[in-house]
This record gives sequence, structure tokens and C-alpha cells, in this order.
Amino acid sequence: MSRQDVAADRVLSFTLKFGAYTALGLIVAGLLLQWIVNWGTKVAAAGLLVLLATPVLRIVVACLQFLRERDFKYALVSFGVLAIVVLAYFLGIRT
Amino acid sequence: MTLAAVLLLMLIGFVAGGFGALAGVGGGIIVTPMLAIYFGLPMHQAIGVTLLCVIATSTATSSLYVERHVTDIRLGMTLELATTVGALIAALVAHHINRRTLAVLFACFLLYSAGSLIKKAWGSRNEKREETIPDYTPQNYPVGLAASLIAGGFSGLLGIGGGPIKVPVMFLFMKVPLRVAAATSNFMIGVTAATSAYIYWGHGDVRTDIAAPLVAGVFAGSLLGARISPKIRSFYILMLVVCITGWLAVQMIYKLLTGGFQ
Repeated sequence: MSRQDVAADRVLSFTLKFGAYTALGLIVAGLLLQWIVNWGTKVAAAGLLVLLATPVLRIVVACLQFLRERDFKYALVSFGVLAIVVLAYFLGIRT
Repeated sequence: MTLAAVLLLMLIGFVAGGFGALAGVGGGIIVTPMLAIYFGLPMHQAIGVTLLCVIATSTATSSLYVERHVTDIRLGMTLELATTVGALIAALVAHHINRRTLAVLFACFLLYSAGSLIKKAWGSRNEKREETIPDYTPQNYPVGLAASLIAGGFSGLLGIGGGPIKVPVMFLFMKVPLRVAAATSNFMIGVTAATSAYIYWGHGDVRTDIAAPLVAGVFAGSLLGARISPKIRSFYILMLVVCITGWLAVQMIYKLLTGGFQ
């Protein structure tokens, strides 16, 4: 395993952890708050949106990392995946 | 929603996430039938909520597997080109399929999963843990991409991860070591499930009040499961998941035969 692969693994694992704990924190806070104030459910829903956004963020980070490694083939592959997911977003949530 | 319902959903999520991480199956095969059978959710809503649980399992467990350098990021990214296309098309189609048909398809998938888990459990009886990953170069990309397209399709249609399709194909045809195949499949299902989740969300099939407690439980369960999985003998865990899956399949078939899932 090359040093670049180790760097890519580190940055991606950090991205996933960041998304996971942010989403979990918001959801738990929202679940507790909903018994006190009526906007608690909105905090929990925001946590779910962070959860939904994390895979996209993970693709963007991987794409940037491949660019930094001058691995243009896989940067292009990541960009392709990103394009399909963004298409799904516009077909779904935005309509 | 009552406090009891919130706690029950968290518990279901915790169990599904924990077993999912330990047995290497997405929590989907537990969550969807539970919601459809015991909470009376329409199939489309049960699947929409499950997709969020699948993203949670993938994100939580992958953060650890990637850190341990077991995941093949380049292979995963390449196959995602196919899984996302399959997931996108299937999610659009699923909206037009009636609930009973979806329930029949899901029951078939549960039986297939139970069968493949029995096989996996049998094989794991005396398996030695491979400590180091042997060198490999993925081969047969066309076969891998085709299988990924199908796995993505099932993910969008039934809210599952599609691991039972991708992992054997990566192992047998692409010559990827089993542990790498399992970790890479796990890495891919987050992006795949997100693709179809956007479509389900757009159709109003993601109930956030039900998803929030479930996802919280799934996160906790799968983080714990992924941490303790190297220290646990998988045979008993797998057999337990087979029993749960079999029981849920029987319940679904019974409900179908008595005219449920309308």
C-alpha cells in the first residue's frame, strides 16, 4: 500500500466520521428537544439531511483527493458518480 | 408519537445496526419487514425509511473499515458508477409498483438472504482469520459492473444494500479477497442508498418521525458492532440472523396470504 493510499483512507474515514457523528448528534438532540419545544423535530430532520448529504460529501472529498494525487482517471470516475447522484437529487427532492 | 414508540424504534435500529455490522448484512432485511408487519407502514414508506438506515450503517461501519485500510476505494468508486444508475432507475420504477408486489418481492429476497447466510455460516465454522490482505488486482470489470447495476436496482426497489449480490461477484469473478469485497460493498451502499433515498424523499415516502429514532439506534448499533466484530465468532451471530430473517419471511408470507399489504 502506497503512502498516497494511506492519506486517502485517512481523509475519507475522517469525512465519514464527521458526517456520522454530526448526524447522530443532531438526531439525538432533536429527539430530546421534541418533548420540550415544538421545533425539536426540525433539528432531528436536519440530522437526517446531514445523513443524506454525507455520501455526496464523501464522493466530493474522494474526487479532490484523486486530483491531488494526479490520478485523473479516478477523479473522472468520482465525478461521474457525483453527476448521477446529483441528477437523482434534482429528480427527487427538488421536484 | 409516544415515548414508548420512539424507544422501541431505537431498539429495533440498534439490533438491526449491530447485527448488520456483525453479520455483514445491511440492517435492511430486519428493518423493512418490522416496519411493514408490526408498525403497519405501507411498503414504500418502510423502504424509504430503511434506505436512511442503510446509509447510516454504511457511513458508520465504513468510517472504521476505511481507517483499517480494508476498503478498496478505487474499486468501490468504479462500481458505484453502475450501482447508482441501477438505484436511480429502480427507485423511479418502484413508485409505480403496487404494495403487494413489492411485499412478494421482499419476501423472496428474505428467503434468498436466509439461504445465503446459512451457507456463509456453514463456511465460517472453522475459518481462519486472514490477518494480512494478499496482493490482488481486480479483474473482470464488465462482470463486476453488470452485477453492481443489478445490486443497485434491488437497492432502489427494496431498500436493501445489495451485498449478497456484490460480495460473491467481487470475490469469485473479480478475484478480490473476501474481506476487501465485504468492506468495499459496505462502502458502496451508502452512496447507492442515498441515490434512491432522494427519489423516495421526493415522493414523500421518507417519514422523518419514524426515521430519526431508528437511525439513531442504527448508528449506535453498527458503530458498536463494527468495533467488536474482529473479536467475535461469527457462526452463532449468523445463525441468529438466519432465524430472525426466516421468522420475518414467514410473517410476511402469512400476512400476504391473509390479504395484507393492500
